[in-house]
Amino acid sequence: METAIETQNLKKYFGDIHAVDGIDLKIPKGSLFGVLGPNGAGKTTTIRMLSTILHPTSGDAKVLGFDITKEASEIKRRIGLCPQELVIYPRLTARENIHLIAQMHGMAKKDYKERTDDLLGKMNLLDRANSLVKGFSGGMKRRVNVLMAVVHEPELLFFDEPTAGLDPQSRRVVWDFIRDFQERECTIILTTHNMEEADDLSDELVIIDHGKIITQGTPDELKGKLGEGDILEFKIEEIDQRDEIINRAKTLDFVRWGKPVGKHRIVLNALDGLRRVSEIMDVVKVKMEDISVRKNTLEDVFIDLTGRRLRD
Amino acid sequence: MELKKEPKVTKQLWYLTIKNFKSMIRELSQLIWIFGYPLVFILLMRFAYGLETYNIFAPGIIILAPIVLISQLAGHFADEKESGTLQRLITTPVSRQTILLSGLFSQLIVAAIQIVIMLLLTFLFGASFHPNANIFLLFFIPFLVAFTSLGFGLLLASFVKTASSAGGLAWFIILPLQFLGGLLTVPIIGFIPTSLAAEAMGAVMIYGSTAFVPVGLNLIWIAVWGVGLTVLGILLFQRKTAIL
Ligand SMILES: Nc1ncnc2c1ncn2[C@@H]1O[C@H](COP(=O)(O)OP(=O)(O)OP(=O)(O)O)[C@@H](O)[C@H]1O
Ligand SMILES: [Mg+2]
Repeated sequence: METAIETQNLKKYFGDIHAVDGIDLKIPKGSLFGVLGPNGAGKTTTIRMLSTILHPTSGDAKVLGFDITKEASEIKRRIGLCPQELVIYPRLTARENIHLIAQMHGMAKKDYKERTDDLLGKMNLLDRANSLVKGFSGGMKRRVNVLMAVVHEPELLFFDEPTAGLDPQSRRVVWDFIRDFQERECTIILTTHNMEEADDLSDELVIIDHGKIITQGTPDELKGKLGEGDILEFKIEEIDQRDEIINRAKTLDFVRWGKPVGKHRIVLNALDGLRRVSEIMDVVKVKMEDISVRKNTLEDVFIDLTGRRLRD
Repeated sequence: MELKKEPKVTKQLWYLTIKNFKSMIRELSQLIWIFGYPLVFILLMRFAYGLETYNIFAPGIIILAPIVLISQLAGHFADEKESGTLQRLITTPVSRQTILLSGLFSQLIVAAIQIVIMLLLTFLFGASFHPNANIFLLFFIPFLVAFTSLGFGLLLASFVKTASSAGGLAWFIILPLQFLGGLLTVPIIGFIPTSLAAEAMGAVMIYGSTAFVPVGLNLIWIAVWGVGLTVLGILLFQRKTAIL
C-alpha cells in the first residue's frame, strides 16, 4: 500500500512547551485518518507542520513522498487545509473566497466556477453565494472555511476540527461531505476532540495526549481492547473512598475494570452492565447518583489510558 | 487525480491584487479615511481661511492624499497576519513575494484613484490651476509620493502586530510628514518627500513650471526616497514574516 504521510520522531517545542513530542505516523493513501486528543494535545501543531506552515524542531516527515522542509512547494500544490479557526476574508463574498484559493492553485476559470457552485450547493450556501462573508452566521462561515480547503481537488486534505461549533444538523452535512471525499481516493487527515466524529468517520486513528501518540488502531480495535462489557458511569459523594469503592466493585466477576474520572465520578466496565446495576449497588454500599450505562466509546479508551476525559 | 499545471505567478498576483482592492473599498471606514482626511483640509482651507490661503495650500493638500495610505498598507498586512489569512495563503502554491507585491500594487491603484479624485475636488472647490499646468506632472508628483508611502507603510508593518496599532502608530509618521513638510504650514525641513513634493507641485500647479529646478530635481529626490524606503521596507518586512 502506498504511503501518504510518514513521520519519524516529529517534534515541535515552543520554548518549554513540548507541543508535539516525538510522533511516528504512517498513513496509507486513500484512508481517512483520525487524530483524536484533548485540548492542547498537539493536533493543530502536527497539522501545521505537515502542511508546511511550521518548521519542526526535529524529526522527519514526508507528505506524499516530499520532505516537509525541503520540498514544501511540491506539497503545497497537492494539499488542502481547513484550519481550526475561521480563516476567511470577511469583505469578500462566499464565492470570491472560494475562487481565490482555486486561483492560487492555477485552476482554469471555467473549472473553478463550476466546481465552486457545485460545492456551495452541497453545503446549502448557494443562495448566499454573493453575500459578503462578514454577515454570515458562525455555521455558515465554517462551511465556507471547509469549502476553501477542497475547491482545488487536492490529493490530501487536512481538516482541523471542521465541525467545532456547528449544530448537529450542519455537523451531519459536513460529515457527509467529508465521506464524499473518502470515496474519491483522496487521503484525509481529520483532527477532532469529538469521539463520535472520530469513531464514525475514521478508518484508522491515533489518540494523542501531551504531544505523544498513546494508542493507534481502527475504532473497533481500540474499543475492542477495552473488552466486551458495557460502560457504567456514576457519581459519588464520598470522594475519599473512591479507590475503596472501585476495589469493592471489582470483586464482582463481571466487572472488568474500574477507573476514577475527575473528582466525583467512577467508570466501570461491566459485562451486561445494565441488568446488573443493582448487584453493583449492593457491593459498593454508597449512594450512586447520576448513573448511566452505555456501549464502549473512544472516550472510554481515552479514560482507560489517561484517567481523564477528552473534554473538561 | 492528475496534478494541475504549475500556477502562473502573474495570474496569482493579479487575483490577489483584485482581492486586496475589493477588501479595501468595501470597508466604509477605510473609504472615509482615504478620502475624508484630505477633504477636511480642502474644506477647512477653502471656507475657514478663504480662497487666497486655500490656493497657496491646495498643492500640499493633494500631496497629503497618498500620505494617508501609510496606515492602510501597514493595516492591510497586519490584518492578514492577525486573521490567519496570510498563513492560509501560504499553504497554497503562492510565494510570499507575490503576496507582498499584491499588497503594494493594490495600494498603488488606490493611490491613483485617490489622486485623480483629489485633483478634481481641489479644482471644484475653486483652486486656481495655471493654464499651462502640466497634467501629467500634476498626477505624477503625488503618485511618486505614494511610493514613499509604501515604504513607510512596510516599515510600520514590520513593527506592528495588529491593524489597530498600525492605524494608531501611523500618526507618528503622517503628522511629522504633514507638518514638517509644510503641507499646511510653511515647510520646516526641505529635504523630506512631502516638502520636496509640495514645492514641485506648487511650481507646476500655480506657475505652470516644468523647469528642472524645482520640478525635475525634486522628482528625482522623491524617487530616491521612494525606492530607498520601499526596498528597506520590503527587506525588514520579509525578515519579520519569514517565520510565521
Ligand atoms: N505558536 C505557539 N506558541 C507557543 N505555544 C504554542 C503555539 N502553538 C501551540 N502552542 C502550544 O502547544 C500545545 C499544543 O497546541 P495545539 O494547538 O497543537 O493543540 P490542539 O491539540 O490542536 O488543541 P485544541 O483541541 O485545543 O485545538 C499547547 O499547549 C499550545 O499552547
Ligand atoms: Mg487544535
